[in-house]
Order: sequence, then C-alpha cells, then structure tokens
Amino acid sequence: MLEIDRIDTFYGESHILRGLSFQVAQGEVVCLLGRNGAGKTTTLLSIMGYVAPRSGSIRLRGRPIHARPAYEIARSGVGFVPQERGIFPSLSVRENLTVFARTFPGARWTLQRVYEVFPRLRERERNLGFQLSGGEQQMLSIARALMLNPDLLLLDEPSEGLAPMIVHEIIQVMRELKKEGLAILLVEQNLHTALAIADRHHVINKGEIMFTGTSAELEADESVKSRYLAV
Amino acid sequence: MEIYLAQLLNGLVYGMLLFLTAAGLSLIFGLMNVVSLAHGSFFMLGAYIALSVTRQTQNFWLALVLAPVVTVGIGLLMERLFMRPLYRRGHLDQVLLTFGFTFVFFDAVRSFWGSDIRKLAAPDALQGSIEIAGGMFSTYRLFLLALGAGLALILWLVMERSRLGAMVRAGVDDSAMAAGLGANIPALFSGVFGAGVALAALGGVAAGPVLGLYPGMDGDILIPSFIVIVIGGMGSLRGAFVGSLLVGVADAFGKAYVPALSMFLIYLLMAFFLLVRPQGLFGIKGGVAPAGMVVAVGAPFNRPQLARRLAWLALVVLAVFPLFVPDYHRTLVSEIFVFAIFAMSLDLILGYTGLPSFGHAAFFGLGAYVVIVLGSLFGLNGWLGLAVAIPVTAMAAAIIGFFCVRTSGITFLMLTLAFSQLLYSIAFKWRDVTGGSDGIGIASRPSFLGWSLDDPLALYYMTFFFFILSYLGLRRLIASPLGHSLVGIRENESRMRAIGYATGEYKLLAFTIGGTLAGFSGGLYALFNGFVSPEALHWSASGDVLIMAMLGGAGTLVGPVIGAAVFLLMKNLVSSWNDHWMMIIGAVFIACVMFFPGGIWGMLRDRVARVRS
Repeated sequence: MLEIDRIDTFYGESHILRGLSFQVAQGEVVCLLGRNGAGKTTTLLSIMGYVAPRSGSIRLRGRPIHARPAYEIARSGVGFVPQERGIFPSLSVRENLTVFARTFPGARWTLQRVYEVFPRLRERERNLGFQLSGGEQQMLSIARALMLNPDLLLLDEPSEGLAPMIVHEIIQVMRELKKEGLAILLVEQNLHTALAIADRHHVINKGEIMFTGTSAELEADESVKSRYLAV
Repeated sequence: MEIYLAQLLNGLVYGMLLFLTAAGLSLIFGLMNVVSLAHGSFFMLGAYIALSVTRQTQNFWLALVLAPVVTVGIGLLMERLFMRPLYRRGHLDQVLLTFGFTFVFFDAVRSFWGSDIRKLAAPDALQGSIEIAGGMFSTYRLFLLALGAGLALILWLVMERSRLGAMVRAGVDDSAMAAGLGANIPALFSGVFGAGVALAALGGVAAGPVLGLYPGMDGDILIPSFIVIVIGGMGSLRGAFVGSLLVGVADAFGKAYVPALSMFLIYLLMAFFLLVRPQGLFGIKGGVAPAGMVVAVGAPFNRPQLARRLAWLALVVLAVFPLFVPDYHRTLVSEIFVFAIFAMSLDLILGYTGLPSFGHAAFFGLGAYVVIVLGSLFGLNGWLGLAVAIPVTAMAAAIIGFFCVRTSGITFLMLTLAFSQLLYSIAFKWRDVTGGSDGIGIASRPSFLGWSLDDPLALYYMTFFFFILSYLGLRRLIASPLGHSLVGIRENESRMRAIGYATGEYKLLAFTIGGTLAGFSGGLYALFNGFVSPEALHWSASGDVLIMAMLGGAGTLVGPVIGAAVFLLMKNLVSSWNDHWMMIIGAVFIACVMFFPGGIWGMLRDRVARVRS
C-alpha cells in the first residue's frame, strides 16, 4: 500500500529524516516508536506532503506521491489524524465530518456508519468544534479522516492525553478498521498502546530506523526498549 | 423624529455600502491573513467601469452586472500573476504588493476617466422618493438598503448552509488541516478573492449615485472598511455585517450631532478594539497571527573601503551640486533631504526593529504643525518652534508607542494607522488652530546662520546639514549595543526575551526615537515649506514613506535615502513630462516587492558583490 524508500527530510538546514525506508501493507498496522524529536511526526508530515522530502520516494499503491501538494495526497486516499487533532472550531461536528468527505454510493464510510461506530458524535452532532472534550475531538478527527474513505490512515499519537476508557475504545475501533483491510500507520509514545494493536514496529532515533520487529520481538528486546523508548 | 429616521436611513445605506467592501476584505483576511489594500481600488474600478457602461448603453442594470464581472477579471489576474507567487513569503509582502497596486489603479482611473467628480445616474425607475410614515425617502436609497440586505442574506446562506461555505470556514479556521483533508486552498482562495472583488465592485456601482465618483474614493471606502473589520472581527461575516451597520449609523449621527468629534471618536473606537478586544465582536481567532510578518531586509554591506569612498564622493557632489543648478532643483533636493530623514526614521522602526508602521506620518505632521501653529498664532521663531516640536513629538511617540508595541504584525499596522488617523481628524476639524482642510502657513521663514531661508540655496544647505547630522546620529545608534538589540528583536523576539531582554522596552525606545526624528523632519518640512495641511498626517502620507523605505531597501540607512530620492524625483520629474508618475512608482514598487525584497539598494549591493567575486 505505502512504500517509503530512503527519504531525507530537512527543516531548513537541520537534517531530520535520514534515509528512512519502510512499508505498510493492506490490512496491516505499523507503528513508529521513538522519543520526542526522533522524527516520527516528521515522517507523517513528509507522507502528507506538508514537508517535501529532499530525496527518496514515497509511493501509494505504486504511484509516487512525494512532491505532490497535501490536498492531492489526501484525495488519493490518505486519511490524516494529526497530533493536535485539527478540529475546525467554528464548524459543527456534523460539518467537520461532511465538509471534505469523499463518500459515494456503496462507500464503506458514510455519516450513518461513522455515527454507529462513534455514537457520541451523533449526540454532539450540532455542537461546534471548540465545544468538544479532548476524547470527543480525537474521535471526531478519526471519524473525519474515515469520511474520506481512505486506503491508508495516518494517526499521530491518538492516545495522547486521553482517559484509559477512551484509549480502549479507540483501540477497539482501530482493530475493526484493520479487519476491514485498511492500512494504518500509527505514531505512538505509549508502548502499551502500540503493543496492543500494531503488527510491526519501527523504532526511530535521530531520523533513522534502529529496530524493526513484531510486537513479541519488541517486547522481548530489553536493550532496544531501554535505549530508545524508556522515558 | 423624521430627521432621526432620515439619518438612520442614511447611516444604514452607508453601512450597507461598507458591508459590501468589508465582507470581502474580512474573508480574504480570514482565509490567507492578507489585508488586501487594493480592495478599495476594486470598489473604485467597479464604479468607473459602470460609468462607461451607462454612458454607452444608458442602462444602469447592465452596468450593475457588467462592471463587477470586468473588475473580477482584473482582480483575479492580480491574484494569479502577482499575489500567488508570494504565498511562500511573509504576509507583509502581499500587503505591500496590494499597496503598490493602489497606486497603479489610482493612476489608471485618473488618466482614463479624469480627476473631476462624477456621478452615476440612478436608474429612472428608482428616481424620486417614497413616503413612509409621513417622511419622504429617496427610492434609490431604499433600493440600496434592500440590495445590501439581500446580498448579506445570500452570502450568509452560502457561508452557513452550503458545503462550499463550510469549506471556506474550515479554511479560515485552519488552512493547513483543510489542505490535509483534500481542500485545494489556492483555488479556494482565488474563489474567495474573486467573490470579494465582485462584492466591492458591486458596492462601487451601487454607491455611484450616492457618494459620487472621484479618484480617492478607494481610500475613502477602504479605511472605514478597516474600522468595520476591526470592530466586527476579522474573518467573520457576521462581524462585517454588524460592524458595517454600526459604523454607518455612528457616522451619520456623529456627523449630524458632533461634527467636530465624529471622525475622532470612530478612530478612537478602532484603537480601543485593537487594544482591548483584537478579535472584534464576533471573531473567534484570538487577534491576528503575527507569524510570517517579516520585513524583508538586505544583507549588510561588507566592503567598508568602497563604502567610505562612495560616501565621500556623495558628500562632495551634494555639497557643490546646488551651486550649478537652478532654484527648482535646489528646492527639489532640499525636499529629498527632509523626506530622507523621515524615511530613515521609519526604517529604525520598520527595517531595524521589524515593526510595520502604517501611521508614521502622525509624527511628521505633528512636528510640522507645532512649528507652523506656534509661528502663525504666537509669532514664535521657527527654530524655537522646532525646539518645541522635538519634545512634543517625543511625548506623542512615547504615548502612542506605549500602546502599539504591545501588538505585532497586522494588529500593529492597524493600530498605528488608527492613531495617525486620530491626529489627522484633530488637524482636520480643529479649524481655529490648524486651519482645517485649508491648512495653515507662516508669514516668514527664520534665517539659518544669518542667511534667510527664503533663499533656496540657504534652504538647501540647511536641510543638507540636518540630513548629514541625522544620518550620522542614526548610524551611531545602529552600531551601538541598542542597535544590535533592535536587530535581535527583529530576527527573533522570543529568543531575545529568553536571554533576558525586556523587548517591549526596547521596541518602545525604537518607536519613540523613530517618532521623534520623524517629528524633527516634519519641523524641517514646515521651515522648508512654510505651510502645512492635514495631508501631511494622512494615512496616504504614511503609505508614501513606507514605500520610500521599502523601495530603497529597509533595514539599511542608505536604502530609505535612495527610496526618498527616487520617489520624489519620479513625482516631480516624471510628472513634468507625463501624468503617470504614480503608475510608474507603483509598478517599480511591485517589481521590488516581487523580485528585489532588499529594495534598490539591496539589488545594487548584490550586483557589486557578484561582480567583485
């Protein structure tokens, strides 16, 4: 689904991503782990076209998407859920969901279905974006990305700052999405959440991948955990 | 009762016309953080194009449709060809670009349609008046009310009820997120820009039979529209609507009952909102994001030997030059010296400290008024007047600066504009002292070292002397630790604050010194000119000096001098052989903003550096 091949990304003169490569297959949940400043969010921003990689390639379903503007990447089937959630404060919950939706007859995700998965959003349908709690904002952000009917979902620390109950609910939703064949690229700081849903993990440090493995392999590798993940 | 009703109606009509301009201005600002100063020009273009259409066809209704269509074409060309390439740069560049276009459009209108006041004829069906509740009301004005209300309703429905409107609102909230969900923001912006231009042009046509047509109607609608969006809240359609009606009605009643104070009170209200509630009545954005508001400055000139030789050469040439030329040229260069000091004083604030002031003429005009008023009312010698003008402008700059330096970016720009217009309104209305719009003069000029300033040669050497003095003083200041701190604030204010600088105090100091020097140059101007009118304080005078500084090259001392010289030479020399000096200066300025962000001086230095290396 997504192939990232040796990308280098810079902010001005600072070299953030150094020859990063990995893939995400259909129906797979891949997790990027690492400390603050490791380059996890920058990876997502590079995929989305907010910061264009200076070299290397990013392909979606075999088609190159690097050096395309963000809106084209979104339209080609990538749903983006940023760390700060990006809810439009002056739009209602319903408008947030429908404004850029890409639904069509027979689409997997419709307003109806999104409300079934996130019943809380239906209750708050008429509220404005700025009136939502953190957990509601996170659900809305995920639901809004699903309304694009994407093939690939990019999630930046969805569990950050949320109550355990809500984190649990979000994990359930992600499992369901995975079952439907969606490819998910997840950025996490919380090892527990990562182990609960991801098939494969990449541990990043200073813009390079230091470890790749399954949940079991990561759990067994104390040295990686203490070197790159321990707070 | 009837009179109140008539005034209310007039106020509402004016409010509707304001709304048509302010709505577009507000949405364009909301979506891209760009204040389009050319928005008033589209109002004017719409009106004048309608004038031509009605002359050809005698059909007002056709003009009401056709003029906005043509104007939108012009506006979209400007957006595509000029504004779009600048998206990746700071917002200030786009603001300046639209300011350059106001010169171009003003000149185009004046040369194509002339400078006389024209009037658009209201359609026959709407001539005459209607009786309501015992009072007679102009049918056309009632039509304007209905038109404005109808358009506001349509606009509201589109914005609040349609998906397109939701997209625009989402873009206003967070354009990066909207792009990440598939919104083509540049296309959306073009659409909003075009719609805004259409509304402004439509407003211009509709205003034609009421307000009349004249070059300068662009600024007369633009500045009140600023007040509207400041009060209503930038980016909010509802704010633009409520703000327009408030300002319109306040203007009508103010002019009727407190004519001396109405203008003053409105600018006071503007300043109040900017300081106390920068998000306006209905805005939800917390004021204006100052991010990206960076003044483009040139790199320092690191060829000290060449620089020193050039400086000596310039000094010698300027010292002997007046001996060989007629009085006209002596006077012209004296004027350049005065404005060079003025432009350098702005650059201390704009180029060195990074604060985009759009009200610097306040201090220039104040200095000039102090000298002239004291001279004409009390017979005070001009030099004594100048000695009084310095502390007076210093105090004014400290007070105004105290409020302004708390803000940054567009808010700073608007606030300096509001304060300068406050002073303008005083000069305009306080007839007993200032002579009002006629201006005021002094009978005789003082002498300079025993040499009467009525002699252009004496005037030349006097202004030359003070120019050199100001230049050397500023150079000293900029090379001092204070100067370095100011540049540090321009480059990265939060870092300066983090390492222990009270940046607010430094900014206030720079603002006060710049304002005082501007007051000094204004005082010199009074001695030079012997006369001052409110024009010296007008926002367009602030715009002119901003152009001088940016055109020559902000962030340097030589740049503003070159800019003042180019500006005044064009104004005086180009206008002697054709009428298009404004068009030319506008075009040169636009080219500078687009291709030479370091101004003329920056470009020259780059050339020298390239040739030598």
